[in-house]
Amino acid sequence: MSKLKYLLYKDLLLLVRDIAGMLLMFLMPVVLVILMSLLQDSTLNSVRDAKVPILLVNKDTGELGKAIESEIFRTGIFEVSQDVEGVVPSVNQLEKAVASSRFVLGIYIPENTTDDIRQNVAKYVSAAFNGVETTTEHIPVDFTVYIDPTTKSSFNSTVMSTLKEKAQKIQFEYIMKEITKQVNLLSPVPISSNSFSGDQVRIEVKSAHLEGNDIVPNSVQHNVPAWSLFAIFFIVISLSGSIIKEREEGSFSRLLTMPCSYTEYLLSKAIIYTVVAMLQFAIMLLIGVYLLPCFGLESLNLGSSFAALGLLALSSAFAAIGYGIAIGNIARTYQQSSVFGSMSVVIMAAIGGVWIPLFLMSETMRTISLLSPMHWGISAFYDIFLKDAGVMAILPESAALLLFGALCFIIAVAYNHKYRMDI
Amino acid sequence: MDKRYAIETNNLFKRYKGKDKPTLDGLSLKIPYGSLYGLLAPNGAGKTTAINIICGLRRFDKGEVYVAGYSTKDELKKIKPHLGLVPQELALFPSLTAKENLMIFGGLYGMRGAVLRKRVEELLELFDLTSSKDTIINHFSGGMKRRINLIAGMIHSPKILILDEPTVGVDAQSRKLILDKLVEINKEGTTILFISHYLEEAEAICNEVALMDNGNIICEGKPEELYRAYECGQNLESLYMLITGKKMRDYHE
Repeated sequence: MSKLKYLLYKDLLLLVRDIAGMLLMFLMPVVLVILMSLLQDSTLNSVRDAKVPILLVNKDTGELGKAIESEIFRTGIFEVSQDVEGVVPSVNQLEKAVASSRFVLGIYIPENTTDDIRQNVAKYVSAAFNGVETTTEHIPVDFTVYIDPTTKSSFNSTVMSTLKEKAQKIQFEYIMKEITKQVNLLSPVPISSNSFSGDQVRIEVKSAHLEGNDIVPNSVQHNVPAWSLFAIFFIVISLSGSIIKEREEGSFSRLLTMPCSYTEYLLSKAIIYTVVAMLQFAIMLLIGVYLLPCFGLESLNLGSSFAALGLLALSSAFAAIGYGIAIGNIARTYQQSSVFGSMSVVIMAAIGGVWIPLFLMSETMRTISLLSPMHWGISAFYDIFLKDAGVMAILPESAALLLFGALCFIIAVAYNHKYRMDI
Repeated sequence: MDKRYAIETNNLFKRYKGKDKPTLDGLSLKIPYGSLYGLLAPNGAGKTTAINIICGLRRFDKGEVYVAGYSTKDELKKIKPHLGLVPQELALFPSLTAKENLMIFGGLYGMRGAVLRKRVEELLELFDLTSSKDTIINHFSGGMKRRINLIAGMIHSPKILILDEPTVGVDAQSRKLILDKLVEINKEGTTILFISHYLEEAEAICNEVALMDNGNIICEGKPEELYRAYECGQNLESLYMLITGKKMRDYHE
């Protein structure tokens, strides 16, 4: 233990004297998390706030026209125009406006549409009550929707479903009223059509969470854990560099001629860099909670399980340290380790969803991202921050990170034992 | 294993992967306790490999190695407290001060508190480095670095001290100081294995020398006995040239 104390003293001194390394490990992630949170927040907001331009010409003064108009305004996703340069367009003018890509959608509801529906329904119901199977006295009711051909079919389907739903609801209400009217003509006891509404099934949409608070993901909740992981993994460059420098300078060989084992040598580095990783993590969380709100961003909600947070941070640190030690042992020169270390961490970050959140990636990239330890970490942090997950929920990801770190340690020790003693 | 020898290798073989010839080809080296033993060899003769094996830093294919009476194969832990290594490269932490380096190395040898501090101060004084003890090694001159490198190897007062080219790149004053101190500590009982390309240094301080080539010892003994045996005048350079030849010894690692 006392030998370990001297190794820790040595590694601590070497670390604090490496100003460039300290800046890389502490300042860079701080700058990145602030910058990326601000950048991604505005980007995500612009995506969220972007409205679809539509042209709505409603000449119907009845219920259908009002219902469609109010539904279009209610959704909040449309930027609704009701004229073109101050003039209410005809059907042809509306088609041209959509074709010129000024609008994604054009809806034309002709005059008396509601009245025409009501009259048609009355005729059909009356005919049915009079024993007539079909009636040919039918007023055609058409309202026209023009769609920019470049819009996605899923968007078109959604719009058409909404319009059909509104039209059918109106028709249903008129049918019920007309049937009530006919029944009241025949029955001595009057009945009311108000007792039955078309909205019998309510669908409630909520954000999924395991327990506790209902949190909506935001830029801070993505960027703080993402860049914390990036920072933790970036210690690979300093850690592997220190191993190689000591080997190149000869101090590693000297240490091995002393009563100090290779395991103690690695343990000292692992302890020092675990402290570094925990400090980085704590700083990043503090930034998320206290500093980012000063820039107009939301404050980071840490969830309710500090044990889960600690376990995940330690697992991530262990994975990063194992990886750093493996690179430090396998790389032959400082240049090799710094180039490979930084490149591999940046690639892991890119595919792991640090730069671009996983939910914005394609299915293929999401599958590839499963290979990155940073993906495991981010997924578990999402669970803690967004779903209020506890220790049990993040155990699989923590175990994967610990396993990755252990595998790297084994490779490092085996490589050192097999090759370094013979080079 | 013969208890008279501080370092003993018997029929040591080592061949690196991908090399046709063995680097050590049956090396048998016997260094008696209390000697200041010079090992002289041209480049590529296998002396660094031999040192690394003696210090337990490399494996070997065949043979036996004993240091301070213990086998390097099974009893390396017992050897380490008795052995001090001063490698050819400056095996120090350049961003730490001289004192910090020495405190760490002493601490790793199990020295503690006042004993360690006193020993560090003594050695810094002995090698004229007290005024620079709080300066980081990177700011030292070549000679100062060599002196700290030497102190680091002897901080724990080892029974056996191995020095690989300890005076490379130093000025005449530092060289004289280093060589004088080596003679002093040898007189105090430390066995020294001294490896150098500077034949006049070995001639000046060593009481026994061995000439090594092609992975084996060609001749060994007291310098005067060797001069007589080989009838080569009165200096090591003549003997060395006679035995190893005048051909250049460039080699690839």
